[in-house]
Amino acid sequence: MDNSMRIKINNRISNSEADSLIEKYYEGLTTGDEERQLKAFLSKRNLPDKYKPEQAILGYFDRKAPKKHVSLLPYIRWASVAAVVVLGLFSIQRFTADNKANYAFIDGHKVSNMHTIKSQALASLMDVSSSTNEVEEGFKSLNENESIEQQLDVFSSTEK
Amino acid sequence: MLLVGFVAVPGLKAQNDLQISKVFDQYGERKGVVMVELTDEMLDGYDFSLFKSITIKNNPTAADFIRKCLQKDQVGAKKVKQVVANGVPTSIYLQLPRKGQLYRLILFNEVLNAERKITLIYIESKNDSEDVLKLILKKK
Repeated sequence: MDNSMRIKINNRISNSEADSLIEKYYEGLTTGDEERQLKAFLSKRNLPDKYKPEQAILGYFDRKAPKKHVSLLPYIRWASVAAVVVLGLFSIQRFTADNKANYAFIDGHKVSNMHTIKSQALASLMDVSSSTNEVEEGFKSLNENESIEQQLDVFSSTEK
Repeated sequence: MLLVGFVAVPGLKAQNDLQISKVFDQYGERKGVVMVELTDEMLDGYDFSLFKSITIKNNPTAADFIRKCLQKDQVGAKKVKQVVANGVPTSIYLQLPRKGQLYRLILFNEVLNAERKITLIYIESKNDSEDVLKLILKKK
């Protein structure tokens, strides 16, 4: 803390001290510390006009430290790519999850017990396959009707 | 990639191009209805890529709706069996055109008793649909 205070105090030089430092500067005799003091002095605002040449020479005439230009464009670009990738993966994952679904809805209630699901699936298959019996019985009865007709035809042919 | 993801999702579900998918959507979660969906599961020794069934009781409106859907879905399909009672189809087996590697079948049956139970099944399988039908016939 003492050091920083000392530096702060040391940096505050009067106009006459600055004048002598400027002279030393032009003669090339200033030390590094003295140049820093001089620069600090010249960077102050509201200095008399007589210091303007030195301010210009030392490059402190109202010059602000150049702001580092940080462009957000690459970050936005990468963030967009990342978002697209995440959303793409999410939609694929969601599709996969949907596609792998095994469930039953019984009276509006979702059931995920595999045994129940499979037994319900088999029951529906049985419902349809039992209709095959009806189909075959239908064909069978149709055949029986056909044979009756054939038998009747035999009688009709004998009548002739 | 996002676009591919969203476009591919409906495209990959082969039953989405069918009218009967509306039956599952509209009636699947109602009271008095049993709906089943199985994916890549063995069912009584048979490997189904997708098995969807819906059983509805005492709902003539649903029955009519299913018949209308089947009328549209049977375009381009092979009608394996159809039973008509009093001018109304009560049993229909449809062999749909293959979708990629998948053989597809629609089975519909309505029992004309007091319960009037309707069963609609949609099957996707990598195995020949003839074999699937044989399996179903074997179960009777």
